[in-house]
Amino acid sequence: MLKDITLGQYFPGDSVFHRADPRAKIILGIVFIVAVFLADSPLSYAFLLLSTVLMIAVSRIPFKTVLRSMRALIFIIIFTSVINIFWTRGEHLIFEWKFIHIYREGLTFAAYMVIRITCLLCGTGVMLSYTTSPIALTDGLEQLLSPLKKIKLPVHEFSMMMTIALRFIPTLIEETDKIMSAQRSRGADLSSGGLIRRAKALIPVLIPLFVSAFRRADDLAVAMECRCYHGGEGRTRMNKLHFGLADLALTLAFAAFTAGIVLLNKVPLNVFN
Amino acid sequence: MSKLELENVSFVYGKGTPFEKAAVKNVSVSFDEQATIGVIGHTGSGKSTLVQMLNGLYKPTSGRVLFNGKDINENKKDLRSLRFKVGLVFQYPEYQLFEETVEKDVGYGPKNMGLPAEEIAARVRRAVEFTGLDLSVLQKSPFELSGGQKRRVAIAGVLAMEPEVLILDEPAAGLDPAGRETILGEIENWRRANGATVIVVSHSMEEIANHCDRILVLNKGELYKYGTPKEIFGESERLSEFGLEAPQVTRLCNLLREKGIALPRDIYTVDDAFGAIEAAFKGVGADA
Repeated sequence: MLKDITLGQYFPGDSVFHRADPRAKIILGIVFIVAVFLADSPLSYAFLLLSTVLMIAVSRIPFKTVLRSMRALIFIIIFTSVINIFWTRGEHLIFEWKFIHIYREGLTFAAYMVIRITCLLCGTGVMLSYTTSPIALTDGLEQLLSPLKKIKLPVHEFSMMMTIALRFIPTLIEETDKIMSAQRSRGADLSSGGLIRRAKALIPVLIPLFVSAFRRADDLAVAMECRCYHGGEGRTRMNKLHFGLADLALTLAFAAFTAGIVLLNKVPLNVFN
Repeated sequence: MSKLELENVSFVYGKGTPFEKAAVKNVSVSFDEQATIGVIGHTGSGKSTLVQMLNGLYKPTSGRVLFNGKDINENKKDLRSLRFKVGLVFQYPEYQLFEETVEKDVGYGPKNMGLPAEEIAARVRRAVEFTGLDLSVLQKSPFELSGGQKRRVAIAGVLAMEPEVLILDEPAAGLDPAGRETILGEIENWRRANGATVIVVSHSMEEIANHCDRILVLNKGELYKYGTPKEIFGESERLSEFGLEAPQVTRLCNLLREKGIALPRDIYTVDDAFGAIEAAFKGVGADA
């Protein structure tokens, strides 16, 4: 149903990004972030923008979906660009009125900022949250962090906790929805009054929710014990992660992408002169 | 004019997304007053969605829900007071209990209505008595009761608002057979005493056959038929087409009729069946 699909931002599909190993995607995601911050010239920024658009196209996730996730950050983007436009000092003054000075450097810097934030979000979104199911993501994370077991960090337990937490988000949302409806049917007024009144009105929702969360945790613990769960020690997996063709393709593409950014930084092109 | 009516009501989940799904399609029905109405249908036929539109928890995608002739979704501010008149008991309502004592929990609805304290106390007592609980539970925490008792407390919580229309979504699900029968009997008593209308969603045809005056059959979100148990169960072949089974006694009589015993088609209670079979065999005896 609808509620299951909105878990995280995972958008089912069958692109190269979907098929790739989550471990490879996590590492390449970090490479991508570093590459974004390496970009330093108009050409490399253009290349970055183009590559990000290409990534979204290859992942076959609708542009609308990706852009919608930017909505939450629109304020930050506008805020940083305004700050950059008005507060950056440079050599080329293009507008002056009383205390307002706008320099060309400010404008370009603001444009860079917008491109950087947008690409960062869209790129990592395509790499990780849109194309990797949360379960695959925690699996990948667990294996990447498994060397830390040597220093006695409970990596498996952490990732199991994360998996369970993710698994129960939709369940708890559904439960909250149901309890809210039930209390509304008894005349609960959850959406009017001041802050304190609203907080108080939530008690009839929160208490049953906590009770049911504990009940579920208890049931799950019993069910796991019944299936002989005893932690990560000696546990084998049904779906082994393999470094496959998709991963090779992605790695090469990202190597090319990073190289492209670095090289384009060196190209002496100044559009303003 | 009937108290509660549906006018070409449809409901679509996730409209405008790739996951769009029509749960209720163009249902029009005017519910009889002071009757017990059963709502039946296969899993996913839209029963729960339909009843949640009746007290305004869901707003129909198209069509109108009329209470006393007025569209309930016309003014959002009136919805809260409507919910005191159209009480809804959810599936597994015991999971909504939250107060320290049973008395406070049952009194939550009446308190929201803004009733004076004495009136609340009186209503709580009446409601608890109707559900067959001992008054000694009033000072207990709802969390220390048994599952069946919790269910009763939760139902009492809605009864205490003394609604004109009481809707119950699977009120007896998960209870033992004796508990099922008594809970439905208690609701029936409450309805008679209050002159209210009761709408019950159920999977059990026996329950519906034994307690309902009218039956509404949903098939994949569409209204198949609204009628008396005789009308509905008289066509038990049609019911099986969309995954519903007639009550066991109806099926027994159908089998007997296939064997050549003259029985009417519209038997749905054990008492009727007993009478009819007795009559049929008396006839056989007279022939011989």
